[in-house]
Amino acid sequence: MKNIYKALFLCGGLLFWSCTDLEEDLIGAIDRPVSIDEPSTAFDGGGNGGNDALSVAYSKLRDGSASSGGYWAIQSVSSDEVAVTQKGGDWYDGGIWIDMHRHTFGPSNGPINDTWTSQYGAIAACNDLLQTSLDANQKAQIKVLRAFFYYRLLDTYGRVKLVTTPGQDAPQSSRAQVFAFVESELLSALGVSSVSASMDLTNSPLTTDVNPYRVNQYAALGILAKLYLNAEVYTGTPRYTEAANAASYVIDNSGYVLCGVGCSVPNPGKRPAVDSDPETLEGYAAVFAPNNQNNPEIIWSIAYDGVTGGGMNFAHMTLHYSSQFTWNLVSQPWNGYSALEDFYNSYDDNDARKKANFIVGPQFDYNGSAILDYAATDGQLELNYTPDIDELEPNASRKGGARLGKFSFRLFGRDDQDNDMPIVRLGDLYLIRAEGRARAANNWSLAEADVNTIRARAGLAPLAGLNADNFLEERGREMFMETTRRQDLIRFGKFNDPWWEKTNSDPHKKLFPIPQPQIDASNGTLTQNPGY
Amino acid sequence: MKIRFLRKSFLLFGVFLCFGMAVAQEVSGTVSDASGPLPGASVVVKGTTNGAQTDFDGLFTLSNVESNAILLISYIGYQPLEVSLDGRTNIDIVLTEDAQALDEVVVTGYGSQTRKEITSAVTVVSNEDFNQGTVNDASQLLQGKVAGLSIYNKGGNPNKDAVIRLRGISSVGANSSPLIVIDGVVGASLNNVDPNDIESINVLKDGSAAAIYGTRGSSGVILVTTKKGTPGGVSVDYSGSLALSTIANHVDVMTADEFVASGGVDLGSRNDWLDLVTIDGSTKVNNVSISGGDGNTRYRFSGNFRDAQGILRESGFKQFNTRGSISTLTFNDKLKIDFNISFTNRKSEFSYEEALRYALLYNPTAPVFGKDSPFQFDSPTFGGYFETLGLFDSFNPLSIVNQNTNTGDKNEFTYSANFNYDILDNWEVNALISQQTNKLTNQDYYRTTSHFRGNATSPNRKGRARLYTENRDFKLFELYSTYNQSIGLIDFSLTGGYSWQQQNQYNYFLEMGDFPNNDIEYINALEWSQDLANAGFINASSDASPDDRIIAFFGRINATYDNAIFLNASLRREGSTKFGENNRWANFPAVGLGADLNHYLELNNVDLLKVRVGYGVTGALPASNGLSRALYTPADGKLSSNQSTDANPDLKWEEKAETNFGVEFKMDRLSSTIDIYSRDVSDFILERDVDVTIYPTGRRVENAGKLRSSGFEIALNYDILRNEKLKYNAGIIVSRNKTILKEYLTPQEMRGSLGAPGQNDTDMIRIKEGEEIGQIWGPVFSGEVVDGSQQFVDINNDGQLLTNQNNALDPDGDFKVLGKGTPDFELGWTNQLQFGNWDVNAFFRGAFGHSLINTYRAFYEPRVGSQGSYNFVNTELANPEITNAKFSSLYVEKADFFKLDNLSLGYTFNLKENNYIKGIRVTASGQNLFTITNYTGSDPEPALQDAGTIDNGGFPGTSYDPLIPGIDRRNNYFSSRTYTLGLNINF
Repeated sequence: MKNIYKALFLCGGLLFWSCTDLEEDLIGAIDRPVSIDEPSTAFDGGGNGGNDALSVAYSKLRDGSASSGGYWAIQSVSSDEVAVTQKGGDWYDGGIWIDMHRHTFGPSNGPINDTWTSQYGAIAACNDLLQTSLDANQKAQIKVLRAFFYYRLLDTYGRVKLVTTPGQDAPQSSRAQVFAFVESELLSALGVSSVSASMDLTNSPLTTDVNPYRVNQYAALGILAKLYLNAEVYTGTPRYTEAANAASYVIDNSGYVLCGVGCSVPNPGKRPAVDSDPETLEGYAAVFAPNNQNNPEIIWSIAYDGVTGGGMNFAHMTLHYSSQFTWNLVSQPWNGYSALEDFYNSYDDNDARKKANFIVGPQFDYNGSAILDYAATDGQLELNYTPDIDELEPNASRKGGARLGKFSFRLFGRDDQDNDMPIVRLGDLYLIRAEGRARAANNWSLAEADVNTIRARAGLAPLAGLNADNFLEERGREMFMETTRRQDLIRFGKFNDPWWEKTNSDPHKKLFPIPQPQIDASNGTLTQNPGY
Repeated sequence: MKIRFLRKSFLLFGVFLCFGMAVAQEVSGTVSDASGPLPGASVVVKGTTNGAQTDFDGLFTLSNVESNAILLISYIGYQPLEVSLDGRTNIDIVLTEDAQALDEVVVTGYGSQTRKEITSAVTVVSNEDFNQGTVNDASQLLQGKVAGLSIYNKGGNPNKDAVIRLRGISSVGANSSPLIVIDGVVGASLNNVDPNDIESINVLKDGSAAAIYGTRGSSGVILVTTKKGTPGGVSVDYSGSLALSTIANHVDVMTADEFVASGGVDLGSRNDWLDLVTIDGSTKVNNVSISGGDGNTRYRFSGNFRDAQGILRESGFKQFNTRGSISTLTFNDKLKIDFNISFTNRKSEFSYEEALRYALLYNPTAPVFGKDSPFQFDSPTFGGYFETLGLFDSFNPLSIVNQNTNTGDKNEFTYSANFNYDILDNWEVNALISQQTNKLTNQDYYRTTSHFRGNATSPNRKGRARLYTENRDFKLFELYSTYNQSIGLIDFSLTGGYSWQQQNQYNYFLEMGDFPNNDIEYINALEWSQDLANAGFINASSDASPDDRIIAFFGRINATYDNAIFLNASLRREGSTKFGENNRWANFPAVGLGADLNHYLELNNVDLLKVRVGYGVTGALPASNGLSRALYTPADGKLSSNQSTDANPDLKWEEKAETNFGVEFKMDRLSSTIDIYSRDVSDFILERDVDVTIYPTGRRVENAGKLRSSGFEIALNYDILRNEKLKYNAGIIVSRNKTILKEYLTPQEMRGSLGAPGQNDTDMIRIKEGEEIGQIWGPVFSGEVVDGSQQFVDINNDGQLLTNQNNALDPDGDFKVLGKGTPDFELGWTNQLQFGNWDVNAFFRGAFGHSLINTYRAFYEPRVGSQGSYNFVNTELANPEITNAKFSSLYVEKADFFKLDNLSLGYTFNLKENNYIKGIRVTASGQNLFTITNYTGSDPEPALQDAGTIDNGGFPGTSYDPLIPGIDRRNNYFSSRTYTLGLNINF
């Protein structure tokens, strides 16, 4: 018996000895932030851009800004630029794109929610970064970056929460409050209390250094110019003079120039056997090329890169399945997005931007042979993009619609493109200054000089007799695919007008609904926009 | 035989030592029951190791038996008997059937009880009741046999494990498969036991039974007992079978001529793609076992060989499994040591289920080979095969299976040692040590000429290789002690113990492409990948789990009063590394009370009338580690990190509280069990959207939600005939389960998107608080078609139609419940007929009340003009006027079914006594012979969970959503029909 008790004692000891340890020592997952301080290996200067401690926040710009289903998509498809047609069994997708096109979208629409979460995800990264020890310049940059994301929320949803500290909730602000916050953040980063033609920016912690992936004084002014241009829509109070002044300051004081004659890069999409492919991309086309990272017109851009900075997917979104062979892309495109025919037709045939912005006509492969669509139902095997689209739904032609070629493609392109997406560029600022001056004085002739500068770069004759309508058209042609069309249509009072496959829409559609999942997660602290 | 000789000498020696003076003699005789001789009964001389088994005529012979010895005769299912020889040398023994089986010992958690004492819902299925025919997966033995246990392997891919659910959905976000316990090893792998080695399976259904297992007991517990050696000589068993499987059913598509007549694009050829990629699959199974033992030591060793072929070309597996068990008594018969060991190797050819999908929807006029293309076609680029380039999600199915390989190699090794020591007659201590290791390697390779995943169209990056390796290691130590005592009319037993379990896992994954453009397979020569010379293409990852531990203390009391009132109560305190530091430990109590009313009522002819009620709380563990922590993933460019989730130090167990009420009744020929239950599952472990203002990532794993499910189960068994020549027994089980979502993250939401082409953002299942789970939610087709479009019903009569799926939850939307993914009732009907040497077993199974979304029809039945290069699905429900695809009630079908799941015929030969063969039995069986259903898809069995949609060569998901049952996806295997011939020889 004695031995048995010994054994039992041992067993009992075992129970209390090693055996209640439940620490979880993660060895396959990383539970703290990581940052590596070395130059990026991106191909065309993209990727993390100026890789530094701020990359974690700047990289958030890429989310949804040039892909299907986020910020770019809801801005573009709800305007009269771009459509996603239902091609029989293809691209119906629960009606999200038809609803977007016809302004029948509601709070459950997925892309509207994705846009919200990516903006707030970016804001959280900025807020986190602002808790760390940054120098004055870095702090100002991140505040401008955060203000830019709030500017997008202001423009898209209007009434949002102004969250500035990690982990701290904030009440839902009015649209005017959000506007005031964005304005004050930008002004304080510029070290001024208001914008004027002769302001002194020496107190600004921002620099005037040229780096398209980081915010400098001119980038902040560019955002401010956009904000003031739309101020009347946001708050009811016009701020056109300030819009013009902010834009003018950059045009007059910075070293940025319009990319015109002689401003060129080699064409990475040149097929050797296709003579119509230019050897180089020049002028307007060069601003959006895969190798546009050093373009002199770009003040601030989103750094996309096929390897280190994914998120630009225009080639896949727009090209027909067979068009994979036009550029010998690594994978098959999706045949989704195309330009509206009326929008395409608003370009003059001599307009250099028409060729740069669209892909139409028969398609040829690397060796110059016609590309065939083996699944063609009309007996026309040869792939030929036609500007006209027969219908929005349900049986739209697979080949209908001019394709989106502005952010041009490189041969052997990967799933993610290398082109940088401009946020602020000089061409836009010329048009903001033109519009601001014209609207401030209610005299569109004041816009003619700047408009004609832009037209000249596109190879067009000066326009006389400028008015609101043809200014809007000109701005549309210039800014195609740069996510300004929706706000331009709203500012010019045309967003609720009928266009192809769309009737009049309710005025409340000028704001997107607060996404339902966000209202559900907010415990009653978010309320829906009027009309939804 | 050497062994026998040794034993004899040993015996002689012993006999000399102890009973030198007694007279030894030879004793022979027969053992029989009411209907005739009993082969295989055990006859042992009491107090010795001298024993024998009866032969096929029930005969036995024992040597060296003293004239005054006592013989112990036993046989499974019969009451054991002790017979005193009193000098006789020839003795005939009649055993009586243990008809009541009430004293049958049933294995429960950490011990066993007699059937009568059990106060919870426990079902025992022994090997004579198992499903017959070709059974490659141990869970299939039970399919339809246990009320409330749903086992579905939709389509029946031989390389896929079945989905097992006990009493419906039992967990959200945690593991929802039952806990497997093999010979006492908690958390063992069912894949490491061959179905032929299983003696019986017990299913602990309710919370009061499972609570002793605490965690993981939430989804029920399946206790597997493997076959053991029986004392008395050496027995060798061989069983083998040969089976043939054919396609039982698939969704109807058009022939090439019908397709052309309906406006499909004619590419000039005429092919039946399904015929090209499927075969009649043959399966060969061979099992050999050796078993035996004497009074103190028993052993059994077996080897199992399976060579299974699926109906899809190049699919199947070859498996080798071996299992050994030795059990011995030592230290004055006080210490019992059980040692089990098993090993399984399975080499799988997964082939590609996608080939079945594309076989249905590939243009039936497309040529197999590029040389027969009606247009200019670059055949060599595609390995000679034709491809419909320019069409999304369309691949030549024959090229998929012929050009590419998809294989797996899996090894599982388990050992366990159990030590049971009787300190006193009524006090024992038990210690169990077990370890399992599990290694698997999966390899898939896509040739440079494969359009499917091989990037053949790419100018500069063709071919793809993927390599995945995983190692798992599992250690278990359990120590418990049981003390029995009687005080007056009260018998009670106390159990207390400790359990320690640790799992470790590591894996790595490599994917790269761009291989030399030739016929060589580079999966084992990755250094040829040109991706190694280009940045950004190689996909590599590795992971290892932390020491994932579960530690528990448990105690239990079982008490019986007057042999008629039964009380069982247990408490387990358990902790896991997977939860937040504030909530790692939780308590899981259970209590059960039962009474044998007949003990007091003494009704005529009634053997048992027991009522019982049990309540128990169990917990469920999530599959992943690190859920309570803030985690970071690398950003693009790998120069910084993105936070992916926020920490939750309060993350705790998902809990299930269950109340079960049961009645067991047995009289004469009838026995029945009825169980009624209600259970609440709460605190689901889910990653959810949280307020971005407080948590920077907006995502965090939290406990939220509540499910209530209730239902009943009825099992009836009746001996319709029991003549000497003809016996017929029928059993029916019926179960019903209803699960309501009481609370959730959001008041309601839509999930389960139909997918591409064209049906992304088409969520079809509504999840709503206060409603049943699995509601298929969509617009209602009015029957009218205008310009090729379905017209929908204005359900709310507001004069406006709002039917786009992205407005599904809009208050003005015209949507309604179109069906329910989970069945209302499930039915199993067993028939066993025995006449002479013949026996027939027919098993019917059905499920009723569930619907399925037939996704093949939703995509391909509309006569879509602009993509007329897919074949058209053409069921009896097809409406040829519809020319564009939109999800609606048209594609939701009732999927009630009733099928003859298994029919088998056996013949047992009468053998003249000989020295070599003791018995021969042959069987013929058919599985899935016919199905009565209106469902037009391949298989009407419920889809209990959803893995999401895949398209265009994407890789299928590995996580399953239990909240959205009812979607019959395009990536399911087709159901097959199997015919098996079997032979069993006992030496």
